[in-house]
Amino acid sequence: MIVENTQTQMRKGVLEYCILSTIAKGEIYASDIIAELKKAQLLVVEGTLYPLLTRLKNNGLLSYNWVESTSGPPRKYYVLSDEGRKVLEQLDKTWQELAYAVQISIGDRKVK
Amino acid sequence: MNKTIIININGIVFHIEEDAYEVLKNYMTDVKRHFINSDDSLEITTDIENRIAEMFNELLASEHKQVIIEQDVKAVIEQMGTVEDFEHAEEDTNASFTNTYYNSGTTTRRLFRDPDDHLIAGVCSGIANYFDIDAVWIRLAFALIIFAGGAGILLYIILWIVIPKAVTRADRMVMKGEKLNLQGFKKNFEEELGSMHSNFSNFKHEAKPFVYKTRDFIGDFFYHLGTFFNGAGKILLKLIGLFILLSCFSALIFFIVAFVALLGFGQFAPFHDMPYGVLRHHHPEYIYTAGFVVIAVPLVSIILLTLKGIFNTGAVSRSAGTTILVIWLFAIAVFVYNVTRIAADFSSSASYSETINLKAVKDNTYYLKLNDLKYFTAEDSARLNIKNLAPNMKITDDDYNDFDHYHQRVRLSIEKSDVDQPVLIESYHARGRSYDDALANSRNIKYIFAQQDSLITFDERFYPKNNDLWHDEDVYLTLKLPMNAKVVVDRKVEGIADFSVHDCNELNKRDGNRLSEATFIMTDNGLQCKVDTMVTDTVLNKHLLSDSTKKLKK
Repeated sequence: MIVENTQTQMRKGVLEYCILSTIAKGEIYASDIIAELKKAQLLVVEGTLYPLLTRLKNNGLLSYNWVESTSGPPRKYYVLSDEGRKVLEQLDKTWQELAYAVQISIGDRKVK
Repeated sequence: MNKTIIININGIVFHIEEDAYEVLKNYMTDVKRHFINSDDSLEITTDIENRIAEMFNELLASEHKQVIIEQDVKAVIEQMGTVEDFEHAEEDTNASFTNTYYNSGTTTRRLFRDPDDHLIAGVCSGIANYFDIDAVWIRLAFALIIFAGGAGILLYIILWIVIPKAVTRADRMVMKGEKLNLQGFKKNFEEELGSMHSNFSNFKHEAKPFVYKTRDFIGDFFYHLGTFFNGAGKILLKLIGLFILLSCFSALIFFIVAFVALLGFGQFAPFHDMPYGVLRHHHPEYIYTAGFVVIAVPLVSIILLTLKGIFNTGAVSRSAGTTILVIWLFAIAVFVYNVTRIAADFSSSASYSETINLKAVKDNTYYLKLNDLKYFTAEDSARLNIKNLAPNMKITDDDYNDFDHYHQRVRLSIEKSDVDQPVLIESYHARGRSYDDALANSRNIKYIFAQQDSLITFDERFYPKNNDLWHDEDVYLTLKLPMNAKVVVDRKVEGIADFSVHDCNELNKRDGNRLSEATFIMTDNGLQCKVDTMVTDTVLNKHLLSDSTKKLKK
């Protein structure tokens, strides 16, 4: 239970960073973000993504464009705003630091 | 064949089966409620709805069909995630996002009608949930208002229409003020699974426009009226159960008291007419015990059955039940055996007569009286050690000591004698095991009467020799008097006589209640009441005459 909790915490900690990174690759539709995140085992259900996206958008990190769709209502395609790029750069830096810190902590111990 | 509904999700039209629609609508209600306090609730739910619409479209296209079924909706929900999943994901990611609705709003209750606990439409239990008290009190209050002019019925109907029914799981939880978090949902989820279907069918009513709502209300009304009478029937059943319980308990207490009294004193006041003396030689305590068990076991059984059947509490194990049944059957056997033995003592009857010559009186007038010395004072009974019918009781009071002859019978009749000699024929009847036994019993009867010149005194009772058992003894007295004999009968004799002193006095237009005696005359046709026709008429006429003369004089 404790292990699971820590795992969840770790995943959640990097979730926003991963979302921003995914969007940074180019204009992207929400379900495609989901597909990426599912691949990375960071998210399980789509519903949880929408509140996150909305919040990031409201914080000015994201913007979206409406794109007509053949298979349903118009889709929102998300892109990073300039603000978002700056935040992402900072997060990149933080992640490097974190990765380094983790690397040092692990030390010589072999991790499978 | 299934009914389909056309729905519109943000401009896209879908055909969806009714069941599937209910699941979807339920899901969306939960989702909307989940995000309701978020600033972005509209945007988030619209995003989710759009995505659902898209997924539906993909599903329909890939499977080449036109109608969305429940399976599809479930698949979509699985992909999108349930409210629990959202909650789980948000749990401790981000304090800033954590919704106020789920923290400060957790303990605020909302007023809903409770569909899980309803007598009629769940108004009372909803109110009770809101105030967190037992629904019984609200129902009681409504019942009282109904009796106070019927306003309660109107109020109930208004509340019925105004208060929404708790439809979704979230509704019920808010209604009961449960925490809207994962634990709360988990706890609630199992409950909901059970009532899933009814829940959805209820939802149908909520989703329809108001016009239909009214129509549904009427249908609902009669449905709930049915359930109400069903409930009332249950209450009536409980009342009947309570009545049975109370009667059985009081009967049981009565018999316990009787049993203790019989064992302790050999007598029980409400049944003092019973010839307890019969039992004197037959181990009465066994008979009393057996009789008590014979009565008590069925009473206790009825009590237990009522408790089990109507109130669903209390039970007797199989082995205990069997033991009690065996004891009961044994008690019946003992009881029946003893009763049969006692009854055998009464199988034959015999009678024995004795004729006693009375002294003839010159003026042919006889005065009949009852022996006044029938009462014993407390000192008398103590001094003479007179025993009551009860073996352990002694007579110690002056008023209530009419001992041991409640079941004795003395009857007196007066007939015409062919000779001048007056006679009294005493005829003794008794029962016994055999004729000889019965005859012996009848010979054992001792009756006392006395003649003093013209005064004949009768006893109200007789005395079995050596105060023996009761043998259903009777004494018939026949007083034979010569023609034209005048008999002045005291009113107290009436108790044993087969003629009425009271009626005779009434016949003479005298106050039968006040006069203590009446005069009879022996005629050819037997004893006749002496009617003083002449006297009465003369007196009456004189009276009338004097009245009219007075008037004339005036």
